[in-house]
Amino acid sequence: MQRLKAFPKAKLTAVLETMSQKATVWVPSMIAGVSRFAPYRPEIDIQMGTNTAISPKEALFPSTEKIYTFSAYGIDGEFEPVDPSVGLQILFGLRSCDMQGILCLDDVFLTRGYVDDFYGSKREATTLITLGCVTPGADCFCASMGVNPVEHDGSDAQMYDLGDAYGIIARTDKGETLVKDLMATGLLSDTDKSQGPTSDFVLKVDSEGITEKLQQMFDHPLWDELSRKCLNCGTCAYLCPTCHCFDISEKKRNQHCGVKIKCWDTCMFSEYALMAGGHNPRPSKKERVRQRFMHKLRYFPERYGKLQCTGCGRCIAKCPVNLEITDVIKLAGEAKKDG
Amino acid sequence: MNQITKEMRDLARELLASGEVKGLIGWTKGSRWYLTPPVVITQPEEAEQLYFDQFAVNNLTGLLLDYRYGDDKIALFVKGCDSRGIVRLLQDHQIKRDNVLVIGVPCMGMSDKKAVTDPRQPAELPLLDKCLECRYPNPVIADRLISGALVSGEPSEPKGLTASEAAKRGVGSKQADRFAQVKAIEAMSADEKYAFWQAQHEKCFRCYACRNICPACNCRECIFESDKKGWVNKSATPTDNAFFAVTRAMHVAGRCVECGECERVCPMDIPIMALNRKVIQDINELFGESDAGTDLDGKMPLGLFKNDDPEEFM
Repeated sequence: MQRLKAFPKAKLTAVLETMSQKATVWVPSMIAGVSRFAPYRPEIDIQMGTNTAISPKEALFPSTEKIYTFSAYGIDGEFEPVDPSVGLQILFGLRSCDMQGILCLDDVFLTRGYVDDFYGSKREATTLITLGCVTPGADCFCASMGVNPVEHDGSDAQMYDLGDAYGIIARTDKGETLVKDLMATGLLSDTDKSQGPTSDFVLKVDSEGITEKLQQMFDHPLWDELSRKCLNCGTCAYLCPTCHCFDISEKKRNQHCGVKIKCWDTCMFSEYALMAGGHNPRPSKKERVRQRFMHKLRYFPERYGKLQCTGCGRCIAKCPVNLEITDVIKLAGEAKKDG
Repeated sequence: MNQITKEMRDLARELLASGEVKGLIGWTKGSRWYLTPPVVITQPEEAEQLYFDQFAVNNLTGLLLDYRYGDDKIALFVKGCDSRGIVRLLQDHQIKRDNVLVIGVPCMGMSDKKAVTDPRQPAELPLLDKCLECRYPNPVIADRLISGALVSGEPSEPKGLTASEAAKRGVGSKQADRFAQVKAIEAMSADEKYAFWQAQHEKCFRCYACRNICPACNCRECIFESDKKGWVNKSATPTDNAFFAVTRAMHVAGRCVECGECERVCPMDIPIMALNRKVIQDINELFGESDAGTDLDGKMPLGLFKNDDPEEFM
């Protein structure tokens, strides 16, 4: 059993400097007034206190990516694939909810017989460092979704908040390399401290049995009621650490040349399910709202054996009409099966 | 329960029970003390869900677009600022006058939930900037009024049950600051302006919350939903996002009712109202002062030609 190492919080910049010599280090920071993960640079405004407003999935699954460039003149067509890979990168200070979110993305993009190279190449190049939460945010409810806010065993290294210091312990070879590099700089020392339990959550919900319950609620009137106030914007999906839908379209320079792109898309948008010919199997807000929550709480668990909501609370924090997934779980749980 | 909430529930129960309206849009108490989100009810017994306090910030008028192709009569509550959205929808022929029942409420000014420090402990919070700058605290249009609300199509002092509370909290006390952000940006050099907006547009990820909550964004099919035409595309790059932001601002030019909902709901905190206000300022300078959505019978500056209109480009 290796011992927990620690570095003083005052040395955070030195630690990040060391790490950034070998890799791009994504750190929680304030960028133009919004907290999100961004590549470390010396002048960056680091925000370690609470989780970021924007999910870190953009480091592995950017909102817009080029697939290939093309040109076509008459019958002469050419296309040039775009290399989706990135250099080595570190996601530093991930919270347990977002680590769980990455495991959900792994399921989607790396399993069931197809590896998505856009995601896979970045995931392969990434070292994940989680950080235990001391105080949950106002909208956090990860513990209700079976996630442990103090630590997550899916990461390459785990950090703990020890008050005036951060503890760090490696979990994988990638993590081991990283801790060794820090040892070599003399920044780490042994510690006997440990992080205490996370303080009480403001938001709690009983998600036990929600998947089985929803299996009997496809035609339930609850979806009518829930969806009435929804605006069908994409805020929830685009902030979500597990939402992974994208759409392939193109950016044309002229009638001959352009670039094929993949961009985030969401089941909240009216045109998401629109088919050639004009039929839309999800014609109204009811079907779209139902799809979003069914996917998170029923279809994904049925397919991958885990809930697709990790309790990060971002959709709750920013939903323009406060359509909260915790309420959905609660109301679905209480609903009579036949409505 | 406060008096406004009680009157809301009584009226809602009556309207739904009598069948005068098929549905009613109001606010309800949310999961935390600082949240009072929208609710849509259809049964008289659901009137108990209604609630009103200084967190009922949502402008509900955009939700009427869901009913624009139906014949059901829908009632909804409006604060002064929200009510201009009703005029917007009527002038844009999005809703039929007979299919909406507008209920005016007095407003004490909305509090800024961003100032919450303890999600468990209710506390006094500062007013939203838009309420400090408010010029229309009273509904500009209404079929029914509760709690002493009064209709006023002109800029006015807060009226009704919450008048003194609104005055005490500073509603309308910073009207002069309405264009302060525009002036600050105008004072920047071209390079500074570019850097400022570039940083803002880098953040946008095209969730379209700003568009979807806006009563003026009422196109049946938004141009940003039809990338097949090749005018716009889905990539969330600063250039394409700027194109979206400017297109949106120009599409609501002369029609923006300044409810500020676009900026409130932006998850990226992009100062969207700065663009809207810049356009409003320019329209005021070119065509004379006017406030969109305050006069149902009035002509909109960009929907009217006068022989003495400025024609700098001709």
